[in-house]
Amino acid sequence: MNTPFKTMALAGICGMAAAAAQAADDSRIAMIPGGPHPYFAAWEQAGADAVRDFGIEAADYKVPQKWELTQQNQLLESLLSQGYNGFMIFPGDPVGAVSTAEELAENGAQVIAGAGCFKDPSPAAFCLGTDTGNSAYLGTKELLAAMGDGEKRIAHFTGFLVDPNTQLRIDAVNKAAEEAGATVVQVIADIDAPEPAEEKINAYLAAHADEVDGIITTAWVPAVVAANALRKMGDTGIHMVGIDHDEVVLTAIKDGVIDGTMLQNPYGQGYIGTFALDKLRSGCTVKDDAPFASNALTDKFIDSGTSYVDASTVDSYIDAMRAESDRILKDFEATYLTCN
Amino acid sequence: MLQISRLSRADWFGPLLATIIAIVLIQSFSATFLSAYNIEILLLAIAVNALVAYAQMIIIAIGQMNLSVGAIGGLAAISFAGAMEVWGLPAPLALVFALFIGVLAGMVNGILIRITGISAFVITLATLSIYKGINLGITEAQPFYGIPESVKSFGSAILVGPIPLLVAPTIVVTLLLWFMLRRLPIGRFILAVGSNDHAAALSGISVSKTVIAAHAISGLLAAIAGVLVVARLQIGQPSIGDDWLILSFAAPVIGGAILAGGHVSTMATMLGVVIVAIITQALVLFSIDPFLVQVVLGAMILAAVGLNRLRARQPLKGSM
Amino acid sequence: MSAQDTPSAPSPNSSTGDGRQTWLRFFLSNEFGLILLIAAFIVIFAVSTRGFLSPFNLFSLGRNSAVNIMIGLSMMTVIVTGGLNLAVGAMGVCAAMAFGWLIEVLGLPWPIALLGGLGMGAALGFINGWTVVRTGLHSFIITLATMSIFFGVMIFLTRAESYRAIPDVFSALGKMKIATYLSPLLLVTLACALALTWLYRFTVTGREMLAAGASPAAAELSGIRVGRIIILCHMLSGVLAGMAALMLVARNGAAIPSMAGQLGQDWLLPAFLGPVLGGTLLQGGKVSVLGTVLGAFLVTMLSSGLLMLQIGAFWVQTFLGLMLLIAVLLDKARRSYLTRRNLA
Repeated sequence: MNTPFKTMALAGICGMAAAAAQAADDSRIAMIPGGPHPYFAAWEQAGADAVRDFGIEAADYKVPQKWELTQQNQLLESLLSQGYNGFMIFPGDPVGAVSTAEELAENGAQVIAGAGCFKDPSPAAFCLGTDTGNSAYLGTKELLAAMGDGEKRIAHFTGFLVDPNTQLRIDAVNKAAEEAGATVVQVIADIDAPEPAEEKINAYLAAHADEVDGIITTAWVPAVVAANALRKMGDTGIHMVGIDHDEVVLTAIKDGVIDGTMLQNPYGQGYIGTFALDKLRSGCTVKDDAPFASNALTDKFIDSGTSYVDASTVDSYIDAMRAESDRILKDFEATYLTCN
Repeated sequence: MLQISRLSRADWFGPLLATIIAIVLIQSFSATFLSAYNIEILLLAIAVNALVAYAQMIIIAIGQMNLSVGAIGGLAAISFAGAMEVWGLPAPLALVFALFIGVLAGMVNGILIRITGISAFVITLATLSIYKGINLGITEAQPFYGIPESVKSFGSAILVGPIPLLVAPTIVVTLLLWFMLRRLPIGRFILAVGSNDHAAALSGISVSKTVIAAHAISGLLAAIAGVLVVARLQIGQPSIGDDWLILSFAAPVIGGAILAGGHVSTMATMLGVVIVAIITQALVLFSIDPFLVQVVLGAMILAAVGLNRLRARQPLKGSM
Repeated sequence: MSAQDTPSAPSPNSSTGDGRQTWLRFFLSNEFGLILLIAAFIVIFAVSTRGFLSPFNLFSLGRNSAVNIMIGLSMMTVIVTGGLNLAVGAMGVCAAMAFGWLIEVLGLPWPIALLGGLGMGAALGFINGWTVVRTGLHSFIITLATMSIFFGVMIFLTRAESYRAIPDVFSALGKMKIATYLSPLLLVTLACALALTWLYRFTVTGREMLAAGASPAAAELSGIRVGRIIILCHMLSGVLAGMAALMLVARNGAAIPSMAGQLGQDWLLPAFLGPVLGGTLLQGGKVSVLGTVLGAFLVTMLSSGLLMLQIGAFWVQTFLGLMLLIAVLLDKARRSYLTRRNLA
């Protein structure tokens, strides 16, 4: 996983070196997901690259050992005591994590939300994540295009119901389907862990494969499991669009088992997040009239980008993600921050 | 009549009756219950859960408990997957390695319990935490994906009709375990130590060796279960084993095992596993809230221990 | 009697013995060993990590240990009777969710909801105790089953969703600092510990609890209603588990169903670590509140220190397990030494 990201970062240096000037000299950034999940793995390399490119003292990726708010809180407390002063957090709970974020801010640290948002009001300067609704909408459009003419019955596999993004995804898929005159015949949610995903998806496909023409997945694990299931079942005529860049999904695209995947941009979140935290540390403030988007949780949302990859572009998917990051970083400071 | 009353006293009779009644009832309400596909799903669940239950049963037999069954299973699972992905070992070697880890982990439990004389509960709570911690430390909670095709195809292969190949190891283990407890000296020793370790020691049985052997067998069974889950899921998931604790006690207890030790039955435990699997499956079939599965499992344990207790009292009453 | 007693409460035998032996006994006691260990680890962490002695870390250390000590005390009250309570986590979460429900759905003021939450803990404890007494089965299997039932019913009723409308006054308790270092939560826990010490040492009920745990048959003969006492111990355990969970609610500003892990299993290790390190043996009849407090504090400090050492969050669990193992081994060695010297 690391090598492609290194290449990606190396290629990115030229474009981004200009931003390297004017860094706070004592920024120690920590990036903390809600728990272990492969989605966040790219944050580690992104932090290391940002340290090198922007001259930041440290930008470390620290994982709580479980998806549990208490574990995340203890890790955050410990990191603050260790002298970290900039935090990008995926909140373990959109409300429950706010009180710890407030404590971090009261102790002089800068906080932003990454990949998932805190519920307003929170001390987070902004939330940098995928516009999940949009991503699901575009993915469904691509799926419908790939399915061509004929009947269009879609099954939708998605993630944890407690994740506020899940409802946005379900709504977006339904909207895209409705616009194209397709029907969503089944939504299976709460399956972002391998064992239940394996059970539910296989059980569903075994019973209803002939009643489905297309599959859209909007969470990491269901995408992997569904891609594996389609490979196992052989030629079914079922089209599928996945999400994220797991090896299994990418290979399935190359082999023509599934049509494509909607990339999210965790690397960009880590890289841009570290950059922004360092800027905030050096005295920049968020513009009052910054062009933030809003979602169900917050009015200070920044889209970290999404793009569709199919068999023809899968080998250069790194470029697709880099292009997104470059685009956002290029005028990030001018758009969102006031610096003296 | 006499024969029926003798039958009814056998451990496996009650659970068997319950199994048959449950199957008939559920089938009459939902015709898809005995469909080929559903049977396959049931058998897959039973194949793994039976091994988990045996791993606990063998420890219940010596009158102890093993909280670390799930942790050993998880550690063996990631050892199996990790050995293949990271070291590139061929599947059979990785299997031997994983089973060795399981036996070793079990023996450590047994040895610690014997040399310290501290209750198995505390020791296995400590080792549960140690084994799970090693698992997380190695994997950082990320799964191993590099499972070779041979293992994957084993996990999804079909023996005949709706019967998956994964049940084969479980059947073999069941027969061996039954033979061991019934016919081999070690089986007799285990049950003797479980009913009264003092008397067993006086009659020349080495209590230490027996306890350590029982824990080693428990570790081995947990490890086999872990490996089977890897074959079924086709990934080495660190969370394998996390939810085995309740199940591992439920099945032997439903099968009439007495927690004080000395009295277990392989067949009845297997039936206990079947009952649990059928009922959880029925909850899904009738679209009953999946959240309630836990409640039903807990209630079944309570009902079973209550019944066992009643049954144990009855002969006494009769003789008085 | 064993060396579980601290010099502040000399056992009947030693009050007639000479003072030197009392002191020797104290130096060989669990509590003294724990104090030494705590002191040693403070020095190690202070020297080898950055920020261990910073005001914020000491504050959060106190706040985290407040919860862990309370969980340990909750388990201790049942261990006293010679039983176990695997359902501590499940009961705690149920109490917290009841608290959240009373506030968010019924709109009750938080002090009443607080009582409601603790009442829920007591009620679940009553169910455990009553079932244990009526069936005569070991509390291990009963609480194993009820842990599954309590947690399952809670998840079913709440649809696994959090209650987030906790009043600011209540969640402010979680962040409040008294004299920079002290969390009010720690004061609550210490008050509970003192009350428990008083209970076991100076009240009839407390002594009856110990007697029922030491030998139920003998206690029954001497006129103690053992069944009632055991139910009472389980209810006490439920209330304390509820306290621990409500402190977490104050800390997070939300009542979250997953706060003690699947089935509340994540509380099991801290629940047993405190009492066992503190020398409350699992056979019942003996108790050391001070030991439990020190044991739970040591555990909290170790996990905090290990995080600070950047050993990696993933290895902390292994160290805690090893710690438990070493502690029981040392305790074993200490007791056999005492037996040889005829001190115990």
